[in-house]
Amino acid sequence: MLTWLDQRTGIVTATKDFLTEDVPGGASYWYAFGSATLFAMILQIATGIFLCFYYAPSTSTAWESTKYIIEKVPAGHFVLSLHYWGASAMIALMAMHLLQVLLWGAYKKPRELQWIVGVLLFVVTLVLGLTGYLLPWDLNALLASTVAIRIAGNAPILGPAVLHLLQDGDGITTLTINRFFGIHVWLMPAALVGLVAAHLSIFRWNGPAGPPIDEAPKLKPGRFWPEQMFMDTALSFGIFVLIVALSTFSPVPLDDKADPNNSTFVPYPAWYFIALYALVDIVGSLPAWMVQAASLFATIIGPTLLIVLLVALPFIDRNPSRRLSRRPWVLGLTALTMVAAIGLSWYGQNNVVQGQLAHNLIGPGAAAASSAVGGQTTATSTAAVQTATAASGSGGGAPAGGSAAGATVYGSNCAGCHGATGQGQPGIFPPLDGNPVVTGDKKAVIGIVNNGLNGKIEVKGASYSGQMPAWKGTLTDKQIADVITYIRSAWTNKGDAVTEAEVKAAVK
Amino acid sequence: MAHAEAYKDPGTPQEQSRRTFMAQATIALGGVIGISLAIPLITSVVPSADASNQQWSPLTPDEVSMLKKATDNTPVKVTFDVHETNGYFGASDEEQFVWAVRATDAQMEKARPELFNGPDKLAYPVVNMGFTVFSPLCPHLGCRYSYNEAQKLFLCPCHGSQYNILGVHEAGPALRGLDPLPLRDYQGKVQVSWILYQANTPAHVVIQVG
Repeated sequence: MLTWLDQRTGIVTATKDFLTEDVPGGASYWYAFGSATLFAMILQIATGIFLCFYYAPSTSTAWESTKYIIEKVPAGHFVLSLHYWGASAMIALMAMHLLQVLLWGAYKKPRELQWIVGVLLFVVTLVLGLTGYLLPWDLNALLASTVAIRIAGNAPILGPAVLHLLQDGDGITTLTINRFFGIHVWLMPAALVGLVAAHLSIFRWNGPAGPPIDEAPKLKPGRFWPEQMFMDTALSFGIFVLIVALSTFSPVPLDDKADPNNSTFVPYPAWYFIALYALVDIVGSLPAWMVQAASLFATIIGPTLLIVLLVALPFIDRNPSRRLSRRPWVLGLTALTMVAAIGLSWYGQNNVVQGQLAHNLIGPGAAAASSAVGGQTTATSTAAVQTATAASGSGGGAPAGGSAAGATVYGSNCAGCHGATGQGQPGIFPPLDGNPVVTGDKKAVIGIVNNGLNGKIEVKGASYSGQMPAWKGTLTDKQIADVITYIRSAWTNKGDAVTEAEVKAAVK
Repeated sequence: MAHAEAYKDPGTPQEQSRRTFMAQATIALGGVIGISLAIPLITSVVPSADASNQQWSPLTPDEVSMLKKATDNTPVKVTFDVHETNGYFGASDEEQFVWAVRATDAQMEKARPELFNGPDKLAYPVVNMGFTVFSPLCPHLGCRYSYNEAQKLFLCPCHGSQYNILGVHEAGPALRGLDPLPLRDYQGKVQVSWILYQANTPAHVVIQVG
C-alpha cells in the first residue's frame, strides 16, 4: 500500500528525506525551542480558523460576535482562550529561541540569512499580536489600539501616511477593524507561513549549528528521527498542557464594548509590550526640553534601531568564533537588554495597576472603572484580581447579616480602592476592616463619605496618602446610609447601622 | 528524481534564439500580470482623501445650558452630536463631548501665551462667549481624560498626563496643553467644530476637521 502510494507521489521518500538528518552532538532539549515555536504557530492557525467561523469584523458586530463566541458557541470560550494564551506562548518561545541563537552565536556565517528571516518572523509575530488586540473591540482593545496607531502616526515623515493607511481614513472606524482583521488573518499569516518555509529550507541547507563551540561540526552526530523529534514533541506537549491549563483556569476576559466616550478606563498593554509602555511613562518624568526627543526615541526610533541592529548583527559581529568566552560584547549587551526589558516590564505592570487604582477614585466613573479592572483577571497582580472579585458585587467577605443593598454599592463604588474584603492598599488606601474610625463615631464616617478626604492619614500606625472623592451627589443619601451600614458590619467589623435620616441630618 | 533528458542537447542556434525569446516573454507576461494586479490592489488599500472642510456641530438648547454651567473652577462635560461617517455604515450622528470651562481672554493669554502669539497661534479665538471648550482627547496619544474634582486637574488614564483647568500641561509625557476647539454663536445658534490634532507634538498639526 505504502509502496503503491510512494510510486505515484514520492511521499514516503520525501518524508524519509525530511526526517533523516544529523543532529550535532546528539539530540538535546536545547534544540527544541524552534520547533516548539512552530507548534505554537500551528496551534494559532488552527484555533484562528475556527474563530473565523463566528467572528465578524465591524463596529456593530466585532464585540457582539466575540461575546457570542464566549457565551454561546460550544467550547467557544476555550478555543478563544487557547488562541489568546497560544499567542503569548508563541511570542515567549520565539523570544527564547532568538535569545538562544544570539547566545550561541548561531547567527554567524553561513547562517546570516536564516537569522534575518528569523528576525522578520519575530516582527511579523509582534504585528500579529498588535493587530489581534483590536479585534474584540472592547474598551481595552480600542484604547490600546488608539495609542498604538497614534504612536505609528508620530513617526517622522511617514507617520501621517502610515496613520491613514492603518486606520483606513481619518479616524478609527469600522473600516479600521476590517483593515486590522485583513492584516491579522491573511496578510501576516501568509507572510508567516512563507517566512517559516524559507527559515526551514535554509536551515536544512546549512544544517544545525550545534552548541557554542568552534568544534561543533566535528561532534559525533545523533539522529533527528526519532531522538530529536521526540524531544521536540515532548517540549511542545508540555507547552500545550500549559496553554490548556491557562485557558481552563484563566480564560480570556472581555471588557465592556468599545465606547469612544469612556474617559476613565485604564487600558493595559499585552505583556510583551509592557516594557515599551513603561518607557513612554518614564519619558514623561524627564525635563521638559528633552521629552519630545526622548518620546520619539522610546516609541519609534529605539524599537526600530533594535530591529535594524538584530538584522545587521551577523555583519557587525564578524568574529568567526562561537565560544562564549570570546564574545563578551554580544553576551554583555544581550544580558543588559534582557535586564532592562524585565525591569521595565516590572515597572510598567506596577504602573498599570496603580493607574487603575488611582482612576477608580474619580467619583462618577468609579463603577465603570472598577468593572473595567474586573476584565483584567489575567494580570499577575493580586490587586487587580481583588478588584475583579469586588466588581462582581458579591464581595468575598460579605457577612450574612450585612446590608445587601450596601454590599452592592460597596462592590461597584468602593471595592476598587478599599478592596473586596476591606483590606485597602498599603500606603494608598486605608483598610476598612478593623479600622476604628469606620466603626466609631457615625457622624465622622458620614462626613468622610459625603465630603471625601485629602492628605495623609494614619490608621493603626500606618500612613495612607490616597484621595477619597466626595460621594454626596453621586450616591443618594439612601445609598450612602446603606454602604456605611455595610462597612460598619462587614468582615470583622461590628458597628451599628446608619439610617438615611442620619445621613440627611449630616448633609445639612 | 528529475527527468531532464531534454537539457543534454544544447539544440540548434534557431532553437536557442527561440528559447531566449520564450524566456524573456515569460518574464514579460508575468510582469504584466503582476503590475496589472498591483495597481488596483494598492489603490484599494490607500484610503481616499476625505474632504476636510470646516463643519460646525450645533448644540441643542439643553446642551447650551449645560455649557453655561461651567465656571472658572468647575469644568463641564458638554455632549453634542457630530455628523460622522463610519465606513460602509454611512453617516450618522455620533455622540461626542468637549470639556467647557469659563475663562477670559486675559486669563487664557496669561496661562497659555503660545496659543495667542508666535508660531503655534490658533487660527480661531480660544475664548468665545466667555468659555473655552477643550477637545476630549489627550494631546499625548489620544486617550480620553477626565476631571478630578479633588485635585482640580484633568487626568489622563493612559500615561498619566495632567492638566490644570485652563488646559496647561502640569505633569506627564504630553508635549502640549489641552487643545481648545472652535466655539461660536452663529446667528443665535451655538456651534462647536470638531478638530483632530496630531498626537504627541508640541505644535498643533491638524489631522482632521469636521
